[in-house]
Formats: sequence, C-alpha cells, structure tokens
Amino acid sequence: MVYTRRTPWPLVIGVLVIGYAWLVQSGSLDSTIKWLNTGRLTGEMTTLGYVFGGIGIVVGLWHLVAPPKEGHFDYYFSTIAGVLFIMLVAFVVKWGLDPLMAKWGRELRPALGFNFASVLNLNYVVMGILAGIVIVNVFKVPAWAENGVRLSRLGLKTGVVLLGTLYSFAELQQLGKLSVVLIGVFVLGSVGVVLWFGARRNMPNSMTGVLSAGVGVCGVSAAVAAAPVVQAKSIEIAYTIGTILLFGVLCMFAFPIIGKLAGMGYIQFGAWAGTGILNSAQVAGAALAFQPDGIETLKVAEIFNITRVLFLPVIVLWLAVWYVKREVSAERVNLGEVIISKFPVFVLGFIIMFLLSSTGIFAPARHYQGAYFDNSEKAMVKKDRSGKAVDNHLDEKDVGTLKAAASKLTRDDQKAALARLIENRKIMSIEDDDILRGVVNAKVLGKEAGAVLTRAHRAVRHTAPKIAKFRDLIAWFFTFGLVGLGMQITMSSIRQAGGQPLVIGSVVGVLKAVGSFIVVLLLVSETV
Amino acid sequence: MSEDKFDRGTALTIFKNDRAEDVMALVLSLVIALLVYLLV
Repeated sequence: MVYTRRTPWPLVIGVLVIGYAWLVQSGSLDSTIKWLNTGRLTGEMTTLGYVFGGIGIVVGLWHLVAPPKEGHFDYYFSTIAGVLFIMLVAFVVKWGLDPLMAKWGRELRPALGFNFASVLNLNYVVMGILAGIVIVNVFKVPAWAENGVRLSRLGLKTGVVLLGTLYSFAELQQLGKLSVVLIGVFVLGSVGVVLWFGARRNMPNSMTGVLSAGVGVCGVSAAVAAAPVVQAKSIEIAYTIGTILLFGVLCMFAFPIIGKLAGMGYIQFGAWAGTGILNSAQVAGAALAFQPDGIETLKVAEIFNITRVLFLPVIVLWLAVWYVKREVSAERVNLGEVIISKFPVFVLGFIIMFLLSSTGIFAPARHYQGAYFDNSEKAMVKKDRSGKAVDNHLDEKDVGTLKAAASKLTRDDQKAALARLIENRKIMSIEDDDILRGVVNAKVLGKEAGAVLTRAHRAVRHTAPKIAKFRDLIAWFFTFGLVGLGMQITMSSIRQAGGQPLVIGSVVGVLKAVGSFIVVLLLVSETV
Repeated sequence: MSEDKFDRGTALTIFKNDRAEDVMALVLSLVIALLVYLLV
C-alpha cells in the first residue's frame, strides 16, 4: 500500500507559514499582535513559522518531483503532510482563537459580570478539539493528511511525559499526611465508583475507564494519560473532557457560595475545592473567588490539586489491569504479566521526568511549576533586555510610598511583613511574599503602593527558563494532539456515544463534591 | 477514518502497538529534555 498522496498542499502551507513568520519578524503585523495582546508569542511565531514553513517547502517539493514507492520511507514520509496540516490549524488556535477569546472575555466582563472565556475554559484545549471536530465534520480531513492525523496520540503522550518536568519533590514535602489520605480516598473512590457505575449502565469499558480517570484524578491530563491504556476512542476522550469542564463550570460558581454559607475557613475551603473540583484551572478560579483578598485558600487548593496529579501513575496502572480483566476472561489473568505487558511506558516517562526535575537540573529543586523564591543579593540584580544590570531593591521613593500607605493595613501578619520589606528593601521570605501578594489582591493599599509590592514580588520570584520552555512545549504537544483528536470525532461517533458519560460523570462528580464537603468539615481544621 | 484504510497500525496510530508508541513518546521526550537542558 502506498501512503503518500501527491499534493501541492504541503508546499502551499510551507509558503503561507513562512510568509506569516516573515510578516511577524518585519513588524508588519505589529498592530494585530498588539490588538490580540500576543506580543510575548512573537518569538515562537517566527521560530516555529520558519521551521515548519521550511519543512513544508522541502516536503512539498519532494511530493512534486519524486513519485512515491511502497515501503518504510513512504509510510513515515506520508505523515509529514498531515502533521503540517494539524500544525497550521494549531497555529490558528494558539495565535488567533485562544487570544481572541481571552480578549473578548476581558472586554465583555463589565457587561456580563464575569469573564466568559475563563469561566467556560475557552482556551487552546477546548478550541483545539472544536477546531478538529469542525474540520472533520464540515470540510473532511483531506486524504493526503489522514496518515499524519494518526500521530496525534503520540503528541498527547509526549505532552504527558513532559508534564512530569513541572513538578518536583518540593511539593511532596509540603503535603500533610491528611491531604494525602483525603485525596487518595477520593481519587481512588471516584475511580472505583465510575468503574462500578459504568458496568451497571453497560457503558463500553473504554469509555468507563477514561471517564473514571478524568473524574477521579485531575481532568484533561488524566483523561489523556489513561486513554491509551483502555483503548479509548477519540470521542470518548472528548466526552470525558467535556464532562469535566462543564461540571467544573458549575463547581466554580457553586463552591464559593456553598463554602461561605457553611462558614468554611480558608484551609477548609482550599481542601474542599482541591479535592472536589475536577479541573485544575477551575480549582484556582473557585479558590480566588472564595478569598479574593489573599492566597491562603489558593495555596491549599493547589497543594491538594497537585497531590491528585501524583496519583496518576497508580490510577493508570489500576485501569490497565482492570481493562485487561474486563476484556479477557477474568480467571486467566496473571496480574504480574498484565503489569509487565500493559504498563504504559509513557507514564513511566512522566515519573522519570518528575525525578529529573526534582534533582534540580531544570530549575532549583524547590521550584513550583518553574517558579522559585530567591532573594540573594546576586538574584536581586537582573539584566534588562539591553543587557544592562538593574538593581531591584526598593528605592527611597518606593519606601516612602509604602510607609505612607502602611496605616491602611489591619492584619498583624500583613503589618509585620510590610515592615520587614521596608526595613530590608526586599521581601525576606516565601511566607512574607505570600502575605504581601494577598495585600496586593485585596487592593487595600491603593494603586501606587500595590505597584511597588508587585515589583518587590517580581524581584524575588524567578521563573526558570528551562521549565518555562517545557511549559510551552507541553502546550504545543497538547494542542497538536487535541486538534488531531478532534479530527477523529465524526457526528456518527458522537451519536453512538450518547449522553451516558455526561450523566455518570456528573453524578460521580456531585458525589465526590458532597462527600469531600462532609469529610473536610469533619476532619480539616484550620491547619492541615 | 476506518481501520481498513491502513494496512499498518490502527486508525488511531501509525505504530504497530501501544508499547511502540509509548517508547517513541519516551524517546522523543528525553531528546527534547536533553535539548532544553543543553540549549535553554
């Protein structure tokens, strides 16, 4: 069988993408970039534009001059046209639709009272899947791109492996025993309930498996990680992601209201949101809605949220064994053999990356998703874009601004942290930094003093460039994978899947939210 | 896309099995990690 379909399209895509990169580099698109607020993306626009544009031109010319012949070269070469096609859509999503939605969300916020783009999670994850679904159902995937679309799952798996670089042992050290037990019970419990429920409602094992991971662990990444193990179809992954996000929207509004009605403290609410809400972004949203004037709730919620991610390898292994047992006659299954033959190597990759990241080779070992605290004298002096050294200690004017505003503070911890900042002209500890970020969020000191505090915060919080690069790459692999995944979802497959997953996912989501609410109220005091 | 369109791999992947795809994802990630470590 010959896979390469001769077409001029790779050449056309190559010219288009290189042309775009050149327009960005020459500054011709500056006004559009400013309008979309994508100035920070111009670097990747030019780099990726030239790289993929160059590949497109070379591959396109090869298509035109060399007739394809059956064999390994033809098989693998034929995927490149599809990869270029997906990347073209991914560029539109990441550089166009994603920032456009963010912009509209911000602009309509005064009229609507909330940012619809962030509440509905209209980011590259959702936009990527939707773009793929629209293409396959409205225009069809062109025949020359079909073989490349089959690489989308490789993209998702690579994204999951690289996800491990964002975490380190530092987070594990922050965890209290209670949080591990609480999360463990709810993660494993939710997975178990979905598996039981799915079997009772005769859902396909693949759908049940991927839904259980999504509802139990942490949403999108977990669904993506578990999907290959249970042989999930694209529509089943999309359904799971849809269920998680829709349920998360509801939680984002309901959790803060219920939390306040129940008189929960910051730590209690953080523990509840971090356990009960399915998607990471929505956990953060609910925590900030509950406590807009500080970040204590957000920190606890994030710690609980991260604990869930760390359960991912255990859940994937459980699902591998469960799936084999369900698909094959139960008596014949040898657990050891299943683990060896079915263990997903890419999840092992996630663990390897996590361990590598914990050694500190990508960022200081105490980093938290690439950000770390350093107020040493060396770190306080940074170079600006022109290479000139800039001292980031507060100057006399800054200190005067803070002194004038200090009397507006009422909390003792905030007064003490501000006093230490004024005395040393830099933030002295992670705890002080957290407290002062709360002061900025609460907007109690006024605009000018708030700006000084934000500057002081930026002077001691550093982002590791390597981890920032990993985060960009993960986003690209996920966008690539999700666009390709969307391209495998036809209307008939949507009708076939029906509405069952949404019902089961929501029922288990509610059970998890109610269960964790009761347990948190009973067990979690103001210290975890 | 149906299965019979491809005589290698499945409709979802170009690789002959999941393990091959997993190993490729792992190798790709390690190469990327090395490049990021060396170049960034």
